[in-house]
Amino acid sequence: MGISFLRDVFREKANSEAIIWKGHSYHYSWLDEKVVFWLEWGKANGIRPFDVVLLQGEFSPSSISILLALIELECIVVPLSADRAHEQCVFANTALVVWILEVDSNDKVRLVHREETRKHSLYDSLRKAGHSGIVFFTSGSTGISKAVVHDLEKLLKKYTLRRYDLRTLAFLLFDHIGGFDTLFYVLSNGSALVVPEVRTPLAVCQSIERYKVEVLPVSPSFLNLLLIGEVYKEYELNSLKFISYGAEVMPSNTLQRCMEIFPKVRFLQKYGATEIGTMRSKSDQNNSVWVQIGGEGYNWRIVDGLLQIKCDSAMVGYLNAPSPFTEDGWFITGDAVEQDGENLRILGRMSDIINVGGQKVYPAEVENAICEMEGVADATVYGEKNQLLGSIVCARVQLAMPVEKDEFVKKLKTHCKSRLERYKLPLKITFSSGSQTDARSKKMRRFMSEGSDLKSI
Amino acid sequence: MDAGNDKRREALNAIYFAMDQINAERSSDKLLKKEETTHLFGIGANMDSLELVTLVLAVESRVSNQLGVAVTLADEKAMSQRNSPFLTVKTLADYVVTKIEESSRD
Repeated sequence: MGISFLRDVFREKANSEAIIWKGHSYHYSWLDEKVVFWLEWGKANGIRPFDVVLLQGEFSPSSISILLALIELECIVVPLSADRAHEQCVFANTALVVWILEVDSNDKVRLVHREETRKHSLYDSLRKAGHSGIVFFTSGSTGISKAVVHDLEKLLKKYTLRRYDLRTLAFLLFDHIGGFDTLFYVLSNGSALVVPEVRTPLAVCQSIERYKVEVLPVSPSFLNLLLIGEVYKEYELNSLKFISYGAEVMPSNTLQRCMEIFPKVRFLQKYGATEIGTMRSKSDQNNSVWVQIGGEGYNWRIVDGLLQIKCDSAMVGYLNAPSPFTEDGWFITGDAVEQDGENLRILGRMSDIINVGGQKVYPAEVENAICEMEGVADATVYGEKNQLLGSIVCARVQLAMPVEKDEFVKKLKTHCKSRLERYKLPLKITFSSGSQTDARSKKMRRFMSEGSDLKSI
Repeated sequence: MDAGNDKRREALNAIYFAMDQINAERSSDKLLKKEETTHLFGIGANMDSLELVTLVLAVESRVSNQLGVAVTLADEKAMSQRNSPFLTVKTLADYVVTKIEESSRD
């Protein structure tokens, strides 16, 4: 199959806009030519089928056409957003990458070959099946990102069905399964993908007005920021037909207020995970937090209050972690849910994951960074509910020696900044004197996140 | 001395204190001006969401330390307001005063 079904769409929609980037329109005829160009370029440079290629960039005309060319070349692609460039080395090593392709902010391309002789059984199985693949990185509970391998033949199957042609904003990230879903939904329907300059409420509203965007896929936190910045009041956003949201729990008052502001827009809740892809879901009413999830090839069940999902498009496996599937092939999402007939209400993760505006933070990674500092005996990182971002990261530090606390907080922030992405930095830091583990040596994170007597600095 | 003015001065001080913390992380050409007309979020402002959350937490913490009053600024009520309290230093100071008065009534 490959992407031949997409190329048919490209030819049919040759004169329609495919990508709008930095004020320029790129049509489907252009995209189709570019896919061929990069395909030949890749071959000429020695990129072979089933080579693992890390593609670093953001949504842009070149990165999109290169991604398609690599799929056509039957490669295994590892997309990486530019803001995670500092993790390139670790990800390349974990994913056994042979080629690194960097697309910079001006759409210039650089190719680097990497010495890599190791093999992986998951890649072998793709090669045997003759299917190209894609690898997404997702945060892992140990603080090490997990490499999720998908068989592209399976993942792309759902896009072979033509749906609606709607101008869509590329809000979700290039290396995120949600961003992948946006891109392929748009391409498979011959629609226009509008790439905003940056992901701020202002830039997003400008793009919607200027390019008559019809679909806005965002996170609930973004909608919060849109509300409190009041930017929507200054722009003509009448073209919007759908706002889809996912990745975190939607506060009902945010949804309510958005519906008042956008009375003609339909709000759609999406549900998905890197391991299983994005599912279609529908709500009974616009303002309902109850949803029906599923769609072709997806089944769900609830075991011990937690949602499990079985689907055709599930990942092949992790490159660097044990399988999260049950023996009979169900994916354990870790999300607690309530059920009412066919309807589900997603309550959120029953784990220590901290969801900061839709981005996952595992406490262990932040704890490890803090514990590297001199004078720290132990640290416990936990989430605290926050109206604006869903949750924020908090740290309780046990010191091994007396320090000047304000000074220490500054040092801690500087240290964490050099090690972690910004959204992972602890915003509240407190100090403790006693041990932070219970009798079974488990950190008492949940207790701490419920405790209200902690004084912040 | 008018008690209302006192509260407003405390609110402004807390916001300026919080702005100092944000400025400490910024380069010298991007400092937030400590004036009531300074835009915090939305059009004319250049704070991102993490900075806004940091600012709000610092204001809350300062108000609690200085006045002994626990206030939550970014709550459901703030999100449902027709006019956002987070647009400028002035709107935020007014909101902080409202919050202080509410919590001292409880």
